[in-house]
Amino acid sequence: MNHAGAPAFERGVRLRREPDGSAMLLVPEGVVMLNGSAAAALALVDGERTIDQIAAEIARANFDAPSERIAEDVRVLFDRLHERRLVRL
Amino acid sequence: MNEAARSIPDVPRPLSLLCELTYRCNLQCPYCYNPLDLHTYRDELDAAAWERVLGEAAELGVLQAHFSGGEPTLRPELPQLVQRAAAAGLYTNLITQGTFLDDALLGRLKSANLDHVQISVQAPEEHLADEIAGTRVHARKMDALRRVQDAGFALTLNCVLTRMNHHLIEDVIGLAQEYGIGKLELANVQFYGWAYRNRAALMPTREQVEHGTAVVAAARKRLGSTLQIAYVLPDYFEERPKPCMHGWGRAFITVTPDGRVLPCPAAAAISTLRFDNVRERSLGDIWREGDAFVAYRGTQWMPDPCKSCDRREIDWGGCRCQAFLLTGDAGVTDPACGLSPRHDLVAAWRDDPVDAPAVPRRMQTASRT
Repeated sequence: MNHAGAPAFERGVRLRREPDGSAMLLVPEGVVMLNGSAAAALALVDGERTIDQIAAEIARANFDAPSERIAEDVRVLFDRLHERRLVRL
Repeated sequence: MNEAARSIPDVPRPLSLLCELTYRCNLQCPYCYNPLDLHTYRDELDAAAWERVLGEAAELGVLQAHFSGGEPTLRPELPQLVQRAAAAGLYTNLITQGTFLDDALLGRLKSANLDHVQISVQAPEEHLADEIAGTRVHARKMDALRRVQDAGFALTLNCVLTRMNHHLIEDVIGLAQEYGIGKLELANVQFYGWAYRNRAALMPTREQVEHGTAVVAAARKRLGSTLQIAYVLPDYFEERPKPCMHGWGRAFITVTPDGRVLPCPAAAAISTLRFDNVRERSLGDIWREGDAFVAYRGTQWMPDPCKSCDRREIDWGGCRCQAFLLTGDAGVTDPACGLSPRHDLVAAWRDDPVDAPAVPRRMQTASRT
């Protein structure tokens, strides 16, 4: 899987953030609920930042977790979303 | 009224609003789930009323607005309503047969921030498709598939499967590929409205359903994520009912062209229920405490075998409309369930399909057929 490109939401996929801080992806068939770390990563999706840049930004905001671990989690997240055709890479 | 007496525990957040803007349609598909008495819905809500309903839906927590019908593009206010829904933060989906989607309308819908379009085809080849639709429209639909994608919309192709077209399922998948479409909904016909009226002509054979299942499994393996295929087995071929609407009054609201508010698009057929109208009450009041929504929400209403069943909060008793159509009582276990004491009713029309001509969907003649 190529992680150098900048992810963007597929056509027909929209990120929605709720006042309570939770977030979800809206798709034609319904709703994909996001956990906190997925919501943080997807909030940075703008078609310009690469996956590695997104991981680096999250790592800067989370001093507790090792940055290698964060980078791996973010890659896995985008692979899964790509497989489900929610983002394109 | 006493507040305590009418307090209703655990009213869930509705996720989805189906706006049936009109029941008018230039097609006459015999599998339409719209009601038979189409002519009684002529007094359509105006655009201002729909805008109010969309605003109330967003306040209730609804996330998605689906615009359907009939044929929703027959309402010239469609782009304005999409815009209202999008401005309220709702995801917007247009469910259409596609014959009126010219570039001018698509441009207006794009400006209105429409998120997604679903177009139906009757069959993967023109002759049969036009025969099912009762009019020559297939070529225009094929044209619409291109225009919608060229306009930048996400597109799902939908095909309702009946005994008339089930054998062409491989070609429907081929059509989706040919047009570069990413999502395909192969919807086994469900028997409501006109489809219930025509069930003898539409019921697929067991061989067709099994063939379809095998074709879809092979296509999914071959195509991976390049084409997402939704194919749900028809409930009358399974031993457990479908969790209709994810439970009555739990996630879905339908508003009919004349403003009636239904817990399920087929619910108007349940003549023992009284449905509130958005002309008289707010959507929120109707959702929370309208008689029809309260009647079968949750598990309190359930008889056995549902009441004591481990699956009562998975299946939610199956489908209330199907229970009513088959038994005359919307408050019994869906006969599609193998545990229903009336499962014989489903087995009879599944296993002994009678060949009968289909009656085309029409606005006028319903009461005489």
